[in-house]
Amino acid sequence: MASVTVRDLHKKFGDTHILKGVSIEVPKGHFAVLVGPSGCGKSTLLRLLAGLEEATSGTIHFDDRDVTQLAPRDRDIAMVFQSYALYPHLSVRENMAFGLKLRKTPEAEIAARVKQASGMLGLDHLLDRLPKQLSGGQRQRVAMGRAIVRRPSLFLFDEPLSNLDAALRSQVRVEIRKVHDDLEATSVYVTHDQVEAMTLADVIFVLNKGVVEQAGHPLEVYARPATRFVASFLGSPSMNFVDVELARDGGGWIALGKDELKIPIDPEGFEKQLAPGKQVTLGVRPHEIELFSQSPTYRTASESGAPLTVSIVEALGTESFAHGKLGGSPFVARLDPDAQVKKGETIELAFKGIHLFDKESGRSLRDEP
Amino acid sequence: MTRAPSEVRRAGLFRALFFGAIALISLLFSTGAHAEPLKLWHAYRGDEEKALLEILKAFKGPKVEALALPADALDSKLASASLVGEGPDVFIAEHHHLGEYRARGIVGPAGDAFEGDAAFIAPAVRAVRDGDTVWGAPLSPKCMALFVNDALVQKTPPDLEGIGELAGKLPAGVFPLVYEARNTYAHAAIFGAFGGELLTKDDQFGLAGEGAEKSLAIARGLIEKGAVPDDANYNIVKELFKAGKAAFVISGPWLAADLSDAKDLRYHIEVLPHVRAAGQPMRPLITVESAMLTKDGAAKPEARALARWLAGREASEVRARLARTLTARADVPIPEDDAMLRVFAAQSKVAIPMPSSRAMQAVWDPANRAISKVMRGDAPPDVALAEAKRRFDLVRRPPPPEASSTPFVIAIGVVLLALALMWVRGARRGDFAGEMKRSLPAYAYVTHSVIAVGLLVIAPLAVGAATSLFAGNLFGDASERKFVGLANFIDILTAQGGELLTTGSFYVVLLVTLLWTVLNLFFHVTIGVTLALLLSKPVLKLKAVYRVLLIVPWAVPSYITALVWKGMFDRQFGAVTGLILGINDLLGFHMEPISWFARFSTAFTANVSTNVWLGFPFMMVVTLGALTGVPQDVLEAAEVDGATRWQRLWRVTLPIIRPTLAPSVTLGGIWTFNMFNVVFLVSGGDPDGTTDILVSEAYRWAFTREAKYGYAAAYSVLIFLMLFGFTRWDEWRKRRAEDRDRALRAKEATA
Repeated sequence: MASVTVRDLHKKFGDTHILKGVSIEVPKGHFAVLVGPSGCGKSTLLRLLAGLEEATSGTIHFDDRDVTQLAPRDRDIAMVFQSYALYPHLSVRENMAFGLKLRKTPEAEIAARVKQASGMLGLDHLLDRLPKQLSGGQRQRVAMGRAIVRRPSLFLFDEPLSNLDAALRSQVRVEIRKVHDDLEATSVYVTHDQVEAMTLADVIFVLNKGVVEQAGHPLEVYARPATRFVASFLGSPSMNFVDVELARDGGGWIALGKDELKIPIDPEGFEKQLAPGKQVTLGVRPHEIELFSQSPTYRTASESGAPLTVSIVEALGTESFAHGKLGGSPFVARLDPDAQVKKGETIELAFKGIHLFDKESGRSLRDEP
Repeated sequence: MTRAPSEVRRAGLFRALFFGAIALISLLFSTGAHAEPLKLWHAYRGDEEKALLEILKAFKGPKVEALALPADALDSKLASASLVGEGPDVFIAEHHHLGEYRARGIVGPAGDAFEGDAAFIAPAVRAVRDGDTVWGAPLSPKCMALFVNDALVQKTPPDLEGIGELAGKLPAGVFPLVYEARNTYAHAAIFGAFGGELLTKDDQFGLAGEGAEKSLAIARGLIEKGAVPDDANYNIVKELFKAGKAAFVISGPWLAADLSDAKDLRYHIEVLPHVRAAGQPMRPLITVESAMLTKDGAAKPEARALARWLAGREASEVRARLARTLTARADVPIPEDDAMLRVFAAQSKVAIPMPSSRAMQAVWDPANRAISKVMRGDAPPDVALAEAKRRFDLVRRPPPPEASSTPFVIAIGVVLLALALMWVRGARRGDFAGEMKRSLPAYAYVTHSVIAVGLLVIAPLAVGAATSLFAGNLFGDASERKFVGLANFIDILTAQGGELLTTGSFYVVLLVTLLWTVLNLFFHVTIGVTLALLLSKPVLKLKAVYRVLLIVPWAVPSYITALVWKGMFDRQFGAVTGLILGINDLLGFHMEPISWFARFSTAFTANVSTNVWLGFPFMMVVTLGALTGVPQDVLEAAEVDGATRWQRLWRVTLPIIRPTLAPSVTLGGIWTFNMFNVVFLVSGGDPDGTTDILVSEAYRWAFTREAKYGYAAAYSVLIFLMLFGFTRWDEWRKRRAEDRDRALRAKEATA
């Protein structure tokens, strides 16, 4: 088990600047998730941690050990690849034992560790098969097993679930977290799937265009996104954004938008940065919306709700999503399944929580806690 | 292209008319034999061909169609044409082929084409006459004489030994004498001084006895003294003489023709000197170019008249004038002003006619080997000659006794019967007729390829296999061919009754072949895989250029590569010698140039080097393809797992590409096992047949040892059986591994 400290890491491939000064800190035993859209540099960062790529500048420390210049084999890490990267010519047992054999671990020790890992992962009956004789989920578990038997100080996962079907994915996701907890390991996990990120992580790093946009506990990051990008990336369906202008309304604040949109704003948490006439982006998560008619608190603040002209309704059974336009921007609202909303209807919405972002920089206008 | 039905019908009608007309014309011609032109085949070029056409112009008889063939194609063309009765009426060839021609029924008696003994010089008459029958009309004798470089020599020493004593007295780098010392034809001139003949009257090996030993000792003495290079071939003789690096050379009129472009060279020709030890002049072998008649031609008076005309006085004079050809006639004077012709005329008077018996064919190879061995200093003359005689006798052994073919017929019958039974049983099971009917269209689609494969692959294979059960001349009269059963195989497998592990025995050749195959494959695979690994490195620049360059050895026809490599290994002029000398100059070493084909180890190395050069690109290309199947992330996984570069190669990359490479290695093994080109063209079996592999040995039995086709075919069948067995075993091994795998999985599934 080791902590990971990355300082001001840069990586260039020719003229392409992939990582532009990334610093992260993963405490011992934490499960860190690097999340971001394709091309944000999260996989490159992981490969740099593994030693498969060389840093252009910056340092990587495992505990106090500077590993920036070390070869993968000297870093004491194990990695689970997206494609599993099993050795096709070796049986499951040999795949798992490969790294230990190379390190000249005694045979008995190897057998014991393979037995333990295969027991943990339910691979006991598959030990003599070749990878090509396994299903996708089984292969994934072998790849995990190969990492586990090594007992490394750091586990690296490169989108290990993306080749599995949805049902299997949620099952294995749980297993991964369980293995991590059982082994009390430190893990760094790369994904572009925000559900994985939210469910697995102790600490999450949202990467965008080669920089860390925000780091922190996933719920904290979800609740208080530091930038418009982070806000849009986490949450499904993603946050709605509407361009508005701030204005005073008596003692309070309101946001004025297109189509005569007028939304009351609770200034708590934003006090320092509110100014009349300021152009901002208003963010509302689809899940933080209810019908105006059913929101007693909202009705005290405003005489009408925000009008949404519904173009499509998606009824999922447990909930419904109403798609339409609000203040000139596309907008999605989550509604109770029993809400009787039809296509073409205009409904009035009440917002339970809002986010405000600077229109230019995208930074959150929320006051620092 | 589609055509309207009426058009097709018209085309059909036209074709019928066309063939009808041809049939009619050929009928007319065959009845009116006098109108048919005579056919004449020859191998003349340049001035000689001009002279021939001039002579034909003056021939008073039917029109003559002359066809010039390449010299080395004439023989085989005559043989194949005579099989189908398509040959010429008259052909011009050297007399020593007569034995072969007669055995094959190619040549007929000359009859009145021969003017009589008195018209020709004595050696020419002896060359074409056998008892009372004359087999051709002599045109021109050819033999070797002494070429003298006037710039290097004031006075010719009286004898061969005297020429040898010039060693060390000439400018540096100049040999006193250059001739093809390892060649029996050239050596026969020295042997002749001792009165020896290569073949005795009763067809026994003649290069034996005291005279033969002495002649070899003299020749070896000249080499030891440095008076004669030991490995000259015709090209070396020519080039050394042209370059003024040889005071004397022994060669024939063909050298004079080749020297016409050496303007600065002043030389003259003399009769060959005496041999001091024999007290006699050197007597070269003489070959007599003769006009011969095919069996068909011999029956035609016009054809005989043509042969007689070709050998006549006028023709001789035309040839002497236009082509400076020496005449075989006694009554045509040599032109006073032609010194060269006069020398050759004088030389041919003391020359020995090359024996024309078929047995002569069996002399060359053993004699060449024995002489080479002595010239290299590998064996004393008596030992080498005894071995040569043993080899000659081996080839000349009477064929095995005729065997009854009944057991074979029965065996084949039983096999066919069994097949028929199996077929019938298969047919009775299930709905055979229905299935057959349904598969008929499929059969229709594959018919043409079945016929093609049958005719081009299966039939020759079957004929080849059947040939191995026969002995004697398979292409001559039926009386010369006999069924001997498995005698050929028994003979081969018992090493002709000799020791099983002597040079040239089947088992030794098999060992050499296996060593050859294994070594070659080892280098093919290691070099091919190494280069492929280097080429697949993403960091390598100019990859495409290297790839093309490395495939070049494969793209060049293998026989050209083989000849180029043979040239490079030439001791005197080869690139390897050049390299050694260059290193000597540069670093002050004193390495001797290597005589590559004098020892088994070096000759074998030369062969292997050549074949490795030829074979690695294939493995490289296959490996390059296989390497694209090695996933990058698996290599990275190994890297993270702690594998070094070397461990990644051995434990990941190579095991992954192994299944892809395996069939190519099997294929490469079969190709190498049968790599005739390299062995035949580079070492040619040298030294002494030790580097021959099974296929080249089979070739020698078929083409250099009295056309023992049955014997050669038996070799081929053995080769086939071995390779067949090998591939079956390989297949079986693979299948067994798969079965084990499947059984294991089945066990798991039930557990």
